[in-house]
Amino acid sequence: MTATAIVRRPGAFATAGVLRTVDHKDIGILYVLLGVAFLVIGGIEALLLRIQLATPNERVLDPSTYDQLFTMHGVTMIFLVAIPLLIGFANYVVPLQIGAEDVAFPRLNALSFWLTLFGGVLLYLSFVAGGAPDAGWFAYAPLTEPAHSVGNGMDWYIFGLAVSGAGTIIGAINLAVTILLMRCPGMVMGRAPLFTWMILVTSVLIIGAYPILTSALVMLLVDRQLGGRFFDPAGGGNATLWQHLFWSFGHPEVYIVALPAFGMISEIVPVFSGKPLFGYRFVAASGIAIGFLSFGVWAHHMFAVGLGDAENAFFSATSMLIAVPTGVKIFNWLATMYRGRIRLAMPMVFAIGFIATFVVGGLTGVSLAVVPLDLYTTDSYYVVGHLHYVLFGGTVLAVFAGLYYWFPKVTGRLLGHRLGLAHFWLTFAGLTLAFLPMHWLGIQGMPRRVWTYPPGLGWEWSNLVSTVGAFLMAAGVLILAVNVWRSVRAGEIAGDDPWDAYTLEWATPSPPPAYNFAAVPRVRGKRPLWDRKHPDRMDPP
Amino acid sequence: MLSSLEPIVVLSLVVGAVAAVILAGVLIALVVFTVRYRDPRPGLAPQIHGHRTLELAWTIAPLALLAIVFALSLVTLGQIGRGATFGSLEPPLRISVIGHQWWFEFRYPGGAVTANEAHIPAGVPIELELSSPDVIHDLWVPELGAKSDVVPGQTNVLRLFTARAGTFSGACAEFCGLEHAWMRVVVVAEPRADFDRWLTAQAAPPAVTAGPGADVFRGNVCVACHVIAGVGGTAVGPDLSHVGARRTLAGGVLANTADALRAWIADPQRYKPGALMPKVPLSDADLAALVAYLGSLK
Amino acid sequence: MSARAGGIALRRDPNLVGVALFIASESVFFLGVVIAYVTFREQGLATAKAQLDVGRTAIFSVLLFASSGTIGLAAARRSRAWLALTALLGVAFLAGQGLEYARLLGAGLRPGSELFGTTFFTLTGLHAVHVLVGLVLLATLLVTSGLRTGRAGHAAWEGIAMYWHFVDAVWVVVFSVVYLGTLIG
Ligand code: HEA
Ligand code: HEA
Ligand code: HEC
Ligand code: CUA
Ligand SMILES: [Cu+2]
Repeated sequence: MTATAIVRRPGAFATAGVLRTVDHKDIGILYVLLGVAFLVIGGIEALLLRIQLATPNERVLDPSTYDQLFTMHGVTMIFLVAIPLLIGFANYVVPLQIGAEDVAFPRLNALSFWLTLFGGVLLYLSFVAGGAPDAGWFAYAPLTEPAHSVGNGMDWYIFGLAVSGAGTIIGAINLAVTILLMRCPGMVMGRAPLFTWMILVTSVLIIGAYPILTSALVMLLVDRQLGGRFFDPAGGGNATLWQHLFWSFGHPEVYIVALPAFGMISEIVPVFSGKPLFGYRFVAASGIAIGFLSFGVWAHHMFAVGLGDAENAFFSATSMLIAVPTGVKIFNWLATMYRGRIRLAMPMVFAIGFIATFVVGGLTGVSLAVVPLDLYTTDSYYVVGHLHYVLFGGTVLAVFAGLYYWFPKVTGRLLGHRLGLAHFWLTFAGLTLAFLPMHWLGIQGMPRRVWTYPPGLGWEWSNLVSTVGAFLMAAGVLILAVNVWRSVRAGEIAGDDPWDAYTLEWATPSPPPAYNFAAVPRVRGKRPLWDRKHPDRMDPP
Repeated sequence: MLSSLEPIVVLSLVVGAVAAVILAGVLIALVVFTVRYRDPRPGLAPQIHGHRTLELAWTIAPLALLAIVFALSLVTLGQIGRGATFGSLEPPLRISVIGHQWWFEFRYPGGAVTANEAHIPAGVPIELELSSPDVIHDLWVPELGAKSDVVPGQTNVLRLFTARAGTFSGACAEFCGLEHAWMRVVVVAEPRADFDRWLTAQAAPPAVTAGPGADVFRGNVCVACHVIAGVGGTAVGPDLSHVGARRTLAGGVLANTADALRAWIADPQRYKPGALMPKVPLSDADLAALVAYLGSLK
Repeated sequence: MSARAGGIALRRDPNLVGVALFIASESVFFLGVVIAYVTFREQGLATAKAQLDVGRTAIFSVLLFASSGTIGLAAARRSRAWLALTALLGVAFLAGQGLEYARLLGAGLRPGSELFGTTFFTLTGLHAVHVLVGLVLLATLLVTSGLRTGRAGHAAWEGIAMYWHFVDAVWVVVFSVVYLGTLIG
């Protein structure tokens, strides 16, 4: 019966159908495909950056091209890779995990996907319409003011982010309502799976943070198109206002792309350790704490702006505080593995890799929250190292883990283990070679966003190694592509519950029928499937 | 104190040690558990749901560590912050720094003006007043520690110090447009006597203010953007009164040799694409005279 | 819609919860613009005192606030008459703001003429756009609720009412900050 399902799924995907689909599973798949496509695009942009930086005084790219590429790389990876991938998983998995038939607003769901895609298209049209945005992903004024920016790249940035942002906000509202109102009988929030929990928190963060970006974008548009003066000091405006507005969106944003990843790890680690998640309540609560705190730390991106020692000290303290709830998660994952029956299937392998690299990124983050250290490292490659350890070593590795974990549910077939291991080791080696030396480069004094650099400062080797690492990661992605391709065509049939998992998405066929569940599930504990399989030793309700 | 970098290094060692311990702990646990509890072993794993005191422990412990780190960071901040003296009794030397796309201008008390190269007296606290007429820049000399943004519409203050003489390379750290990469600076720290000699030399107009080279300078658009004291001009680009005395040209893109100078003037865009200096058509003779003259401006 | 899996959970109408969350995000959006306005209040205060017509704007504001009451009645009684009156009040308010704009533009104030122009037109303009959207919604509801198909359901009435209340609430803030703000300091 899974077999028939497999032929049905591609059938449903015959383009015409897909364009009109409102089924949360199809939308989820579309989101993930969008994210992967842009991962390749943003990745190729990164490879170009790395080629230009491989050796000093390189001239493969001219400064203008380089600036457009690093800006588009950052924007793409944050808004068109991390967000779509995570929202995509949320779309597919959450309704299944809470035993619902679909999301609350299926049509709106399709709308938010198409808005995100359209936003991405707008951003990339800039390349053919006289130049892409070139002021960095956080587009500091007054470099973005008409007086200092040539071409209309920044206008494309404004519209692209506003449109995809609208899609993201609508998607978040949809997911929040779904989680709040559509949980199946018995599933009180206190029993909801951690991934669902983190998506709820994330949705709230999106609703609270994205509109700030939108208003900042509107103001920038007024400045650029109506001669406004918000961010133009020459006209009495204020250059740092943009930074305050952007980062009071931008910092929550980095947790928006981190919390769902934490959620995935909190699903995978227990299943492959054969144990319940250690300290469920604390892991969920720490997610909420991170969400709250994330609105009170934005100025840690502005320590060198000259806000004043008191302000800096305050934001330093709040930033350090976030380490505590994040640590709680790490420690609980470790405690979950303790005395477990650990199965090193690909999802678990990537989850373990995630913990290792994310902790490094987190710790460098704390070092950046220490004002005197940040005054040295800010705007240097040390920051670039940090952000890739948390974004690639964190978010992307978690997404890979989630991909190996839920792929069988989506397609009915398992991904290959041997290719999986190759993918993992190439990625792990690649990210270490590419991003670890960046910290050293920063400490040696290499500023970020330089299109080239002089020889003789001791930066040559680290940059070369970093470039090699980048290509290893690319090779890893190519292997993943091969793995997916082979598995979709002739992968091992997964069955409903290939991982002996705990949550409801595994209680329905793979792939699930359009209506998700033949009968509305009822749950009495945190691990419905465990309870079904072990009536003798059910979880305490 | 050796330099304004020292307190940062000390703090970084402490924070680094704390971080290393935590990292080691997590990684060891991760590896040990992965190896030790790996399948296959008979039976089910013990279904442990949590442990209150443990949760408390690993909430409190990090809190305590962070509190210590935070306190130490405040101490360091005091050592390098606004009123810092770095244990020197000398009154601070005020230098105003102006960030331009894409070069730094340094204005000294007494009228000396330089570009992309600042001299400072060793053993004296330096107070930089940073401002910008265009976009946000950021002055960073790693060997002197902290950096500060250079924000249009506000004047930031950065205190730096070094006890030992030396030549330090720095750069603009905040992305400021096309040639952000070639907005590098050289800071030369030298004994007080040498510094004073340098400063008086820089403050005075050049020895030669007439002759073929000066005429070419005056006779071409150069004067529309550059100043040579005694020769004239307008200050749009770097002051050239003593350009011959500098180590580098155009924000470090070229070493300051006669050939480099000629090459730069002949075609700036070739070496610094986007630089706000146009290619000025000059006859070989004029160019030679000009280069000879500018090179002589020590 | 309500025959969904989560039988026990579906106490509230998802549509209304959705609208509430949407309004929350809209509030954050306006918060950003208001913060910007307040940041530059000092620079613009002189012009604001000189140019803004607090008295007349107050009158039109009262009309808008009144429309909060009428939409309440309209929703409570599913009354198209009250709905129409609400729309009228909304139109009146926009007309009032139109007059204000005309006068200011006549006096040479532009979004680009000075900082106050930038912040004033941005903040009030964005609110006006929201009123406009509200009017469109009211109009649609007016039509659909007229159709015998009974397509305008509970959610439509309540949701649109919520949104309209929000538009008014925003104006309470904008009017206080921009207009009443000129009376103090
Ligand atoms: C997934 C995204 C993500 C995540 C999760 C984080 C996590 C953190 N980040 Fe990061 N950050 C970014 C994405 C992210 N960051 C990006 C993209 C930028 C650059 C933006 C740009 O300029 O382009 C940035 C930049 C950035 C800066 C500004 C640097 C600068 O420009 O000068 C700072 C400064 O405070 C900072 C701090 C932190 C802190 C304190 C955390 C903490 O949340 C980390 C907490 C985690 C741990 C600490 C590890 C686990 C904890 C334990 C094992 C417990 C014990 C630990 C201790 C007691 C310390 N980050
Ligand atoms: C999720 C977020 C994310 C991810 C995944 C990445 C991934 C990578 N990033 Fe990214 N990066 C950012 C977010 C991210 N980055 C952000 C926010 C910035 C700041 C931007 C700014 O300053 O404004 C940044 C900036 C940044 C810089 C600094 C630019 C500068 O300051 O001048 C560099 C430089 O090396 C870099 C490199 C890389 C590399 C090598 C990867 C690799 O992981 C990429 C791996 C490669 C692939 C995934 C490609 C796969 C391609 C194929 C499979 C096709 C094969 C085709 C060929 C081989 C031709 N990034
Ligand atoms: C339109 C303005 C303009 C004109 C005309 C101009 N320059 Fe420049 N010049 C600049 C600017 C701006 C810089 C700094 C470029 C940079 O480093 O980004 C510069 C840099 C230089 C430098 C390097 C200074 C240093 O200390 O690094 C020299 C030497 C120089 N110009 C000489 C000349 C000469 C000679 C001419 C005439 C033949 C000339 N310039 C014409 C604007 C101009
Ligand atoms: Cu000036 Cu970067
Ligand atoms: Cu941050």
